[in-house]
Amino acid sequence: MNKVTLTGIIAMIILAGATYLAIGMTKGGLGGDIVNTLAVAGALALAAITIFVVVKYVRQMQTDKATGELAEENWDGIGEYKNELPIGWAVLFMGVTVWAIWYFIAGYPVNAYSQIGEYNEEVAAHDAKFNAQFANMDDATKTEMGESIFLVNCAPCHGINADGIDGKAADLNRRVSAKTVKYVVEHGSNNHLLGTEMPMPDRNGLFNANTNALITDAEIDTVANYVANGMKGDGAEIFAGTCAACHGPDGKGQPYVAPDIAGFTPELVVNVLNNGKKGAIGHMPAFNNLTDVQKDALGHYITSLSE
Amino acid sequence: MFHWLEKHPFFFAVGVFLTIAFAGLVEVLPNFAQASQPTIGTKPYTTLQLAGRHVYIKNSCNACHSQLIRPFKAETDRYGHYSLSGEYAYDRPFLWGSKRTGPDLHRVGAYRTTDWHENHMWDPAAVVPGSIMPAYRWMFKNPANIDTAYAEQLTVKKVFNVPYNKEIPTKDGGTTMVKLADSLDGAKADALAEAKRIAADMKDQDVKDMVANGQIPEIVALIAYLNGLK
Repeated sequence: MNKVTLTGIIAMIILAGATYLAIGMTKGGLGGDIVNTLAVAGALALAAITIFVVVKYVRQMQTDKATGELAEENWDGIGEYKNELPIGWAVLFMGVTVWAIWYFIAGYPVNAYSQIGEYNEEVAAHDAKFNAQFANMDDATKTEMGESIFLVNCAPCHGINADGIDGKAADLNRRVSAKTVKYVVEHGSNNHLLGTEMPMPDRNGLFNANTNALITDAEIDTVANYVANGMKGDGAEIFAGTCAACHGPDGKGQPYVAPDIAGFTPELVVNVLNNGKKGAIGHMPAFNNLTDVQKDALGHYITSLSE
Repeated sequence: MFHWLEKHPFFFAVGVFLTIAFAGLVEVLPNFAQASQPTIGTKPYTTLQLAGRHVYIKNSCNACHSQLIRPFKAETDRYGHYSLSGEYAYDRPFLWGSKRTGPDLHRVGAYRTTDWHENHMWDPAAVVPGSIMPAYRWMFKNPANIDTAYAEQLTVKKVFNVPYNKEIPTKDGGTTMVKLADSLDGAKADALAEAKRIAADMKDQDVKDMVANGQIPEIVALIAYLNGLK
């Protein structure tokens, strides 16, 4: 018998014995447990196949003689036979070629990882969830959402309590301050709030119907305090004679003519968020980074502050 | 040829390097050339903005503030659209930063204004409770260096062909132009005109007086720069 075959048989016996010992001594033994039986069968099959293949190729290396026609190319004495390409290799080669063309044209461009693509998916998923969760909000939920938006986006200027941080920004706990009213009366307003096309004129265009003359400094001070106090106190006649024509007798404004100056409305806040504002205190930028739902929620929150 | 290369390892190595380098160039360069083009709406800095940028660098603002918004929902919600490489086309050097002790500033001009910056730079904690940012009060007195800013403008125009005095497309489809004066005096006059517009929105009387007297404090230049970051 050949030495290699003999080594194979001995190895097979050793591996079978090792399997028997390893599994036979575990709980369940060799035959009582279907899993153990299968494991033994698998281990024996693996050992048998491995030994058969190794023996076959070692024998082949010992006995095979090189035959066939040599190619003309020769690399330092190492030559190459002109053998046919095995059919399996040829099929594999053609298959990979076809796959490569697909991968180059469609596979990679369509499926490649993209950071921006991942971002877009993240945003789309978040928006879908957000829209589903807040499709029909009641006013209390809007106010709650508005407060959290306020703390992130508005509090840096208006303060956590919306008090405007000592006059550094508008105090949103009240509709207007006397300073702002005075500024608007003196300089006019061109904020195009709520779709109004006509800008509010400055003091040179504001007549007091009671005196039939332009509004005076003293009247401006009085009416500014009147509006800032929530339409109370002195100045009701001046307001009625000068401001009420556009802002309404109660200061609640008129659609497409003038905004509400007696109190906040969500529409007014949304308009300021869309367009920004430049007034007595300074310049507020537009906040178009917020979605329409968020702006509306913020409007409800700010309206709720002065109610 | 291949037999010859196989017998000369040095030239073989050179050949390998050239092949791989060529493949790398083909992969990298076209995309790089495209991405480094200015995005629509990106403008070169005016003289005053550039002087403000120098103030920003001089005070190491970039040590605590980044100028790079990453494409994550949490960041774009807070800071605006994620940054594009073409937006840094006129930044020399870029100020991406690698640490955010303070917030990102790449689009701070979109949500903060002159009066806010004035309050904040004078006393940050008064505007942002708990802020650990120091006050930068000397900026309200120190004059900004317009000469250096103008010199840099001239240099980048000549060396990198930055489009000063040329039409630049804007986001709304129109065009705009960033003026570069012919002389230093002209540049100073332009910077002062821009400074006056900013000082009009400020409250500090010393700053207003300095600008009225033809001087430009650093704070005005810095605010011009920050307002331009959009």
